[in-house]
This record gives sequence, structure tokens and C-alpha cells, in this order.
Amino acid sequence: MDCDRMAKLLPDYWRGALQAQDAEFVAAHLKVCPACQELVALGESLAELPPEQPSPALRERFHAILDAYEEGRDEASQRVSGGLGCGRNRMWARPAVAMGAAAVLLVAVGFLAGHYQSGDEAAHAQQEIAGMQWELTNMRQLVVLSMLQQDSASQRLQGVNWSRRQPKADPMILGALLHTLRYDSSVDVRLAALDALSRYGDQRQVRQGLTEALESQQSPLVQVELIDLLVAWRDGSALDQLHQIEQDKNVDPAVRERARRAIDQLS
Amino acid sequence: MTRPVPDEELMMLVRGGAGEMLGVLFDRYQVPLFSFYTRLTGDRAASEDLVQEVFTRILKYRRSYRPGTAFRPWIYKIARNAHADLARRRRTEVEFKPEMAPPILPNDTTAASQQEALLYRALLELPEAKREVLLLSRFQGLPYSEIAELTGCPVGAVKVRVHRALQELREIFVRLGGGRPTNNKVAGVNHGL
Repeated sequence: MDCDRMAKLLPDYWRGALQAQDAEFVAAHLKVCPACQELVALGESLAELPPEQPSPALRERFHAILDAYEEGRDEASQRVSGGLGCGRNRMWARPAVAMGAAAVLLVAVGFLAGHYQSGDEAAHAQQEIAGMQWELTNMRQLVVLSMLQQDSASQRLQGVNWSRRQPKADPMILGALLHTLRYDSSVDVRLAALDALSRYGDQRQVRQGLTEALESQQSPLVQVELIDLLVAWRDGSALDQLHQIEQDKNVDPAVRERARRAIDQLS
Repeated sequence: MTRPVPDEELMMLVRGGAGEMLGVLFDRYQVPLFSFYTRLTGDRAASEDLVQEVFTRILKYRRSYRPGTAFRPWIYKIARNAHADLARRRRTEVEFKPEMAPPILPNDTTAASQQEALLYRALLELPEAKREVLLLSRFQGLPYSEIAELTGCPVGAVKVRVHRALQELREIFVRLGGGRPTNNKVAGVNHGL
């Protein structure tokens, strides 16, 4: 019976994993079978149920647990080792410690690279260096990402500054900086993020992100800096946004004037 | 677009002692888990307790997380265990109780939200095991392979369970007065006749 065949096919139908022939069968059967239509409708409705939002108290409780855990870990570690080696668990709560750890790692990479010159030892050292460099990149990345999420603006500012130590453009960090540029509550942090991003004019992700940020930016200071940077990059793709700003009567007159000049320069 | 740090990498850091990284996982999972629990138990307060319990257990048992383990089935396994333990502690099976159900919405609300409330009620009337598999599959969107891993059943058996649970849900939905379930997408198929 067709409905039995449907029962077997529906689980894969939901996931869009049916073979073409089976998909055709399902589509045809759904047109003529109200019972299967109802099942599919119900299944679709279930998938579309909106998520439930917990109260903000849940987050507070979670952080209380995390704090208790970290304090407990610190005390336990200090009892065992006199404090040595216990930094890692608090590392991300105190990004300065992580910066120190990354710096040590960096020195170690340099030492290994300079120390071994030839033979098996060198090959072995190369492997170690590669491993450490990978860890260093990850650590830097995590430090920046962690710091950009801190509650205090000065720590987020530190996060932005720390991102400058990244030797190469890291898409994740650039993404986090662009997010900061658009959504951070502090103008200072947004300006610092923009400054950090100004080194990456050759990255398409950054140019596009800046153009998007121009659309949503409310602070005249940041708007002016953004416009200046786009002009310096000779980025004509932002012309639409610049025209919008120039014509928007709600925008600060100085920003509109800057946008007008930018349009002249970029057109 | 940037690539987010995979759950598994974050969990490895938590395992290594970087508890702060659990905050990122909490941000990712608190809403899906809370939604799962509220649909499963109908009890918001208990659901918040359960989400908290899940993260407490992750910290406590972080060393049991093995490298290479997919994180999502792992956290849902913890979530299921936490729920089972709570039910055991309460010495009553957490099952549908009429007072848990959201009220039927007044007639002046939209048809869509009325349907949603009815669907919620119907879900709560399903036997818990069926409700769970349906929620994991349709509401949480877990792949069948992950549900199979979670429940210890073969993938084929999971698919059959999902289908049977859906059939039963339809019967309850109709009995509760929700009429014949409809959905725009399916209605579109029908109109195509």
C-alpha cells in the first residue's frame, strides 16, 4: 500500500535525503492522500515551533556555578601544587595570563627554530615548532575571541589590541572584529576595532563588512572614520550606502558632508 | 562568513580546565536544551533546573569527554540522563498533567498561535518516550544517526518510532479539536492538483 511506502520514506523526506524516484512518488502521493498530507503538515509544524526562551536568571545561575567551579579548582590546585600549573583553568577569566602563556610559547618557538640547525634533531624540532605554532595561533584566536566577549569595555579594548598581534589575517578574528565594529556598545571599542581592521584592506570579507557597518552605524565619529577608510581604499562598492547617508536628514550634517566628499572622490 | 570554533574544540579546552570556554557552549545550547525540556516536561521552572544540571555535569564529568566524540549527541545524552534522574528523584514519572498544559488561547488570537498551543498540548499527551523521539527528530532537528546513538537503537528503528509517534500525535491533535492538521507547504502541494 502506498501509505506504507510513505511511512518508510517520510523520515528521509524530512531531511531532503530522498532519491529522485522516491521524491517523485512522495510528491504524487501527497496530492491524493489526505492522511499523509496531515502527517506531513504536522511534522512541518513541529519543526517550525518557535524555540522557548529561558529567563535571564538561568545565565546568572550558570555563571555562579562556573565561578564556584573555578574558585574550587584554584584552591584545589594550589593545595596540590602550590599554585604552579593551575593557571590554565583561570586562563580565560584572566586574559593577561593567557597573553603571558602565548608569549612564552612564542619565545619557545623562536628558541627551537634557532637552536636546531640540521639532521634528525632539526626534523624533530620542525615538527614541534609546527605543533607549537598551531597551538599559538589557536591560543591567540581564543584569547581575542574571549576578550571581545568580556563585559568590561577596557577588556574588550585589550582584546582588540591583542588581535593586532596576529601575524596573518584570521577569518575568525576578522569576523569578531567586524561584529565588534557593528554592535559593541562602546564607541571607543568600535573605533579601536575599525583601526585594527584598517590593516586588512586587501581582504574582501573586511571591505564588505565595513560597507555593511556603514549602514547601521549611529556614532558620527565612527561613521566619519569608516568613510575615510573606504575612501583611502578607493572602495567604490560603498557608493550606494554613501548616497543614502548623504541624503538622510537624520544623519549628522558633518557626516553627510563627509559622505558627499567621499562620493566625489570615489565616483 | 567566519567559521565558528567547533563545539568539540571548545569542549576539549573545557576538558583541559578552561572552564570559561563552557560559556560559549552555554550560549549555543541553553535555548535548544531549554526548548527541548519545556516541550518534554511542560514545566519551565524544572526545565531551567535541568539545563543548569546539564552544565554542572559537564564540568563535573568533563574528563569523561573523549577526543573525537561528537559533542551534540554527548550533551543530549547528559540531558536525557539528567531528566531521567530528576524523574526518578521525584518518584513520579514526569508525564502529562492537565495543569501543566498551556491554556487554550482565546478565539481572538491568530489561528496560527491557536494551532501552536494545540500542538503543544497534543505533544504533552503523547507517551514520554514517543514525545522525546519526536522532539529530538523534528523539533531539535537531530540526525537519525545521532538519535540512534543517544537511544541505543538502530537507525531504522528510530525512523519507525518517529513515524509512529507522529501518527499518534495526529490522532491526539484531532481529538483535542485541532481539526485536520494543515500547513502552507503541504496545502501548496494540494493546490497544485
